[in-house]
Amino acid sequence: MTIKTDILVVGAGPAGSSAAKHAAKHGVEVVMIDRKSEIGSPKRCAEGASKESLEELGIKPNPRWIARELSGVRLVAPDQTSVWLDENTIKLPEAGYVLERKVFDKHMAMDAARVGTKIMIRTEAVSLKRTDDGFSVEIETMGKKDTIETKMIIAADGPESRIGRMAGLKCNTPLENMESGIQYEMAGLEMENNNCIQFYFGSVAPGGYAWIFPKGDDIANVGLGILTDKADKTAKEYLDDFVKNCPETKNAQAVEMNVGGVPVGGVVEESVGDNIIVVGDAAGHTNPFTGGGINSSLESGVYAGTIAAGAIQEGDCSKFNLKDFEKLVNEGPASQFEAYIKAKDYLLTLDDDEFNKIAEEFAKADLDRISPKTLIKLLIKVSPKALLKLGKLF
Amino acid sequence: MIIKDWCLYCGECAGVCAFEAITVHEVKIEIDDEKCTNCGVCIKACPVNALESED
Repeated sequence: MTIKTDILVVGAGPAGSSAAKHAAKHGVEVVMIDRKSEIGSPKRCAEGASKESLEELGIKPNPRWIARELSGVRLVAPDQTSVWLDENTIKLPEAGYVLERKVFDKHMAMDAARVGTKIMIRTEAVSLKRTDDGFSVEIETMGKKDTIETKMIIAADGPESRIGRMAGLKCNTPLENMESGIQYEMAGLEMENNNCIQFYFGSVAPGGYAWIFPKGDDIANVGLGILTDKADKTAKEYLDDFVKNCPETKNAQAVEMNVGGVPVGGVVEESVGDNIIVVGDAAGHTNPFTGGGINSSLESGVYAGTIAAGAIQEGDCSKFNLKDFEKLVNEGPASQFEAYIKAKDYLLTLDDDEFNKIAEEFAKADLDRISPKTLIKLLIKVSPKALLKLGKLF
Repeated sequence: MIIKDWCLYCGECAGVCAFEAITVHEVKIEIDDEKCTNCGVCIKACPVNALESED
């Protein structure tokens, strides 16, 4: 059987569903496929999302997919010196909500379906070839092979970014820019403040950080991401050590394990080509500093869907006509990525002693409101190399 | 490349493979021996140590 459509979206995560919804809204035909049998599961995510930017995207908060609303952030140095910040002190890129991704992703897909997207679950793209006016994509649904003839592909297939590469785009993430992530969802935590998201820095997670994102009074996502070329153990071994040594998690029990890669190198070299747009994790639309990608994926999805629908209606799906997508992403969700990459590179130069000293200064400083300027001033006080690395950042 | 049964099919190995040798299905990993160069990048990337070189 051959299915004909205007746009094929591969992957029904936040980026894919957002793209499908905003394309279908414009009256073009959209098919969205996902290889999983349940959209949103298993999650590969710490589930932190910004309340503000969900609002900006017009996504109405729904208690069914909000696990917890959070009011602050705790940064923890290797010697346990803590810096507590609240919403009024600092604006963090991924803070406000901890979501229930299994429910959230499904709701986003449902929204896409409501405006006309045809969804095919348990369906994967096996291969693709270019045709005169788009792509012919071979798909497989539980052993049954079909073909989808489409004018456009929106590749939202996650960090594997296979579809973009199959179409000839330079969009892979090299090992040095891919965090190796692992997380347990745990119960029985003894949290000092279960309304704060927590970040632990230093040798607990070389090249990344460990996190505790509360989902309930004693429930949290506890995980970490490491850069494997800076590590000497697997991510799982680091996490097991962290859980054992952290006073808040040592008596907690894991009820779920999640693993996956997090691209932290910024936007990929090519995210558009003739008849194709790559979006979300597949395109490196994740904050290179935090690894968070829900908000940037949703926003990039809006642009992907809108631009793709426009191209279909104009009858011109050439790379040139899709270029605006890259511009919108670079001026929107990715506008701060260069600065975050520099901040991340600076963090990579710090050892545990330096983290401890910085945390001590911050804890002493009693800041009402942290601006990038006061932040850098403080950092320079502790480690002069911050001046070189961060001086002209913001 | 040998894939251990504790693999969770997260696809990180496929993401870092420069040769597009790895395909991840919902509960299966496929490695194309002709494309694989045994570079070992996937082994390093795996969060749970589920890949092993055959030599």
